[in-house]
Amino acid sequence: MAAYAGFLKRPVSPTGVWSWLTTVDHKRIGLLYGVTALIMFFIAGIEAVIMRLQLSSSEQTLVSPEIYNQLFTMHGTTMVFMVIMPMGAAFFNYLIPLMIGARDVAFPRLNAFSFWMFLFGTLLMHASFLTMSAPAMGWFAYAPLTSLEFSPASGVDYWVLGLQVLGIASMAAAFNFVVTIINLRAPGLTLMRMPVFVWMTLIISFLLIFAFPVITIALTLLQFDRWVGTHFYNAAAGADPLLWQHLFWVFGHPEVYILILPAMGIVSDILPTFTRKPLFGYPAVVFAGVSIAFMGFGVWSHHMFTTGMGAWANGVFSFATMLIAIPTGIKVFNWLGTLWGGAIQFKTPLLFSIGFISMFTLGGLSGVMHAVVPVDTQQQDTYFIVAHFHYVLFGGSLFGLMAGIYYWFPKMSGRMLNEGIGKLNFWLMFIGFNMTFFPMHIVGALGMPRRIYTYGADQGWDSINMFMTIGSLVIVASFLAFMVNVIRSLQSGERAGDNPWGAATIEWSISSPPPHYNFLEIPTVTSRYPLWEEGHSKGAAQIHGHDDDDGHAVHMPDPSYWPLVLSAGIAMLAGGLLIWKWHQILGFTVISTFGLLALYATYRWAFEPVNEPNHEEPHQ
Amino acid sequence: MGLSPSTGRKVQRNMTHRKFLRWPVMVGLLLLLVAVLSACTNPQTTFSPKSDTAQSIQTIYLLVIVMASIVMVGVFGVLGFALFRFRDRPGRVASQTHGNTKLEIIWTLLPIAILVIVGAPALIAVAGSAKAPDEDALHINVVGHQWWFEVQYPGMGPEDPNNPGERLPLITANEVHLPVGKQIYVTLESVDVIHSFWIPQLIGKTDMIPGTVNELQTFTPQEVGVFYGQCAEFCGTAHAQMRFRAVVESLGDFNEWAVALQTPPADPVSELAAAGQTLFLAKGCVACHTIYGMPGAAGKVGPDLTLLGDRRTIGAGIVDNTDEALQKWISNPQELKPGTLHMPSFGLLSNENPQHMSDAEIRAVSAFLRGMALE
Repeated sequence: MAAYAGFLKRPVSPTGVWSWLTTVDHKRIGLLYGVTALIMFFIAGIEAVIMRLQLSSSEQTLVSPEIYNQLFTMHGTTMVFMVIMPMGAAFFNYLIPLMIGARDVAFPRLNAFSFWMFLFGTLLMHASFLTMSAPAMGWFAYAPLTSLEFSPASGVDYWVLGLQVLGIASMAAAFNFVVTIINLRAPGLTLMRMPVFVWMTLIISFLLIFAFPVITIALTLLQFDRWVGTHFYNAAAGADPLLWQHLFWVFGHPEVYILILPAMGIVSDILPTFTRKPLFGYPAVVFAGVSIAFMGFGVWSHHMFTTGMGAWANGVFSFATMLIAIPTGIKVFNWLGTLWGGAIQFKTPLLFSIGFISMFTLGGLSGVMHAVVPVDTQQQDTYFIVAHFHYVLFGGSLFGLMAGIYYWFPKMSGRMLNEGIGKLNFWLMFIGFNMTFFPMHIVGALGMPRRIYTYGADQGWDSINMFMTIGSLVIVASFLAFMVNVIRSLQSGERAGDNPWGAATIEWSISSPPPHYNFLEIPTVTSRYPLWEEGHSKGAAQIHGHDDDDGHAVHMPDPSYWPLVLSAGIAMLAGGLLIWKWHQILGFTVISTFGLLALYATYRWAFEPVNEPNHEEPHQ
Repeated sequence: MGLSPSTGRKVQRNMTHRKFLRWPVMVGLLLLLVAVLSACTNPQTTFSPKSDTAQSIQTIYLLVIVMASIVMVGVFGVLGFALFRFRDRPGRVASQTHGNTKLEIIWTLLPIAILVIVGAPALIAVAGSAKAPDEDALHINVVGHQWWFEVQYPGMGPEDPNNPGERLPLITANEVHLPVGKQIYVTLESVDVIHSFWIPQLIGKTDMIPGTVNELQTFTPQEVGVFYGQCAEFCGTAHAQMRFRAVVESLGDFNEWAVALQTPPADPVSELAAAGQTLFLAKGCVACHTIYGMPGAAGKVGPDLTLLGDRRTIGAGIVDNTDEALQKWISNPQELKPGTLHMPSFGLLSNENPQHMSDAEIRAVSAFLRGMALE
């Protein structure tokens, strides 16, 4: 083991670029996820604004149809896979160990690997912009439009491989968090005492584990079609292109819940803090989450009511879809029950939570409309649908995630975000959001289809579209207010202290930001809201934590190069496949080089000790 | 609400008064919504049904909107009330309730009740949509192409020369003619990618999938008029410009049109149009386009151009059918419809290219094509 020489020596410095590249600390990984997701949010936002400008009036010529098609494809793909999912990941990376009283996740290096795979997948897909051939077939990528015959450009290839790489990241993270939540809970933290966010993370981890293999298979078949010339989706060769739609939505519908459940968890944990009372109907909220996840696997074909599946299939999937309204309603009612009788403090996190509850309710109601098949034949693929899922994913997920950022930012940074700017941020976003997306219901009902880069003046959609474009600029203003708030706070924000909101869960019992080992002494949890218990206003762990020797007695795993190297190797295998299409020998060289590198990294990872023997005193 | 008995009565009267007002207000708002959505300035609106099926879809649509609005008003009302009533102020202590089983049961049953109200008519409608077409329904087969619609009327065209006694389909493109009051049965196909066929005022959409023949729910147009249709499934570069028109006309007009479509065109009346006819053959247009009854013009790649002068639009519903627009189209289709497949930009080809057309030649071809019209 003493053979580590020179640059291969394990990095030990707690600061500097290498400390971030090799970190296995769940908090740092959470921050990396969060920052990357915010950057991608900015990019996807720019794409959205360009589309809104193009649609602001009929016969606009700001962008060409090819560019427009690339914009909506990348906007959708980015928002789903590279903004909302990683923002959820940022929270569960940062918070889960803190919430369950653990020092890190079960597999810290695997956690780092997840992040690097996510980052490289993101970079790989966006590299398509460099070759001026971003994917342009929609984030749903319906066959046979994705075949070589109809999409000869390499955009689809970037998209397929990028998603495959992102899928590895998600699967690794999901297994990691299932094991972490099941095994690493502090003594006394029974399942039914866990914060709801921990529950929702557990549920979406299972959703990821069951849903992602389906899209992986769908993508692999498409890869074969495009690289090897098979005919899995080729109607001319006798295949049914609907196979893709079934596979895609068997993944895609659970994916919707992967996107919304973290926000539901966040809001369920924020409401008690600002109403000063426990969550109303905790078991009902948890079981509703579980049943939503189960039912989410049985409704995929409601995305396909117009594909001619027949009355039986349409009826069954319509019925199943309506059933989901029941657990969803239970959640909304319990949130209302939590507010009822409280002492509601209108802090920014609560405002965003209220925004979440109200906007998500609207999105849920329009969702029930689509479940009604005859109505759906008029709404499918129109702006009505665009309105619906933005109410769910923006009004829902993003408002919930914003609430989470305002709520936990003090814990993560040690500084408060400004309340005044925060409220400005909220109202701009709330008003801008409704200006942009509510009229989409109307313009959809007036017959405006989705994914069109132009429309005729005779359609009478002009003024409504102009109004929506102005609304989108208000959203941009809200994002700027957010950025200003974050930057100001990091420079000169008010110190947060351990528990600025007077919250009840154990992540608030330790200092802000938390020490790298989280808890000096693993706390014992006696209820759902331990910090609100008599004599527990400060966690036992906390009391020891402050006047101690800076945690030298706690053994944390050392940083490691191998997650980064392994994920770079795997990502470049995908890159090599792209190069192979353009130059076979070069592609083969890249694939074999990085394949060997990945193998080597796996080997080194497997035999790497938790701590470098000559770095600290021997472990135990 | 903690009111003294004397003011209590007043409040109660106010509340009944308000309750009394609520329904008319709601119905009024709904009617306003329908009025706005069905305004004639929106030819593609889903809220101005002009067929029996579209009408019955709208009935369910309105029911769903009403139910959703009731839930929305209820949830927002409770939310707003709670936020105001239970706001934090000095002396306010939150009640430490953890839940209430009775309430949980009530608000599990409540959505179920609402879903039954919405779901029952929805599922009945789904079952009804599977009904077989009437014996005398008019059958139309529409084929999706990137990015235009081929429209076939099976068994209504000229006699099949290879199969005496059998009739070929009557063929046109980007315009569906429908006799008013007759049940329409549409089958849908695609030759390339997935498209979707949709005439919002007449019928909801159904996808056109390669390798499959899909059936559109039958419908009976109830009003004469021209209605907008559009491809609703993303199908590539020019998806936004894959549109068509549905022309609902009297049975007499429909029959006249159907006969004209299978009558060889009369000789062009003007010299310009005659020159255009020659050019149409000489410049290779006929390799892709068919004109019924014109020798040599039997191409199958592009839309059938028979009786083009009678169509409302060109380029698959994207511009009105005028001399200027058609000339522009022949000269450079990419300008009107970026991404157009197969068709050369005849006006932009180099002079050496035998297919190149001068402005004068383009005018002639346009005059010839637009000259083919119903009397």
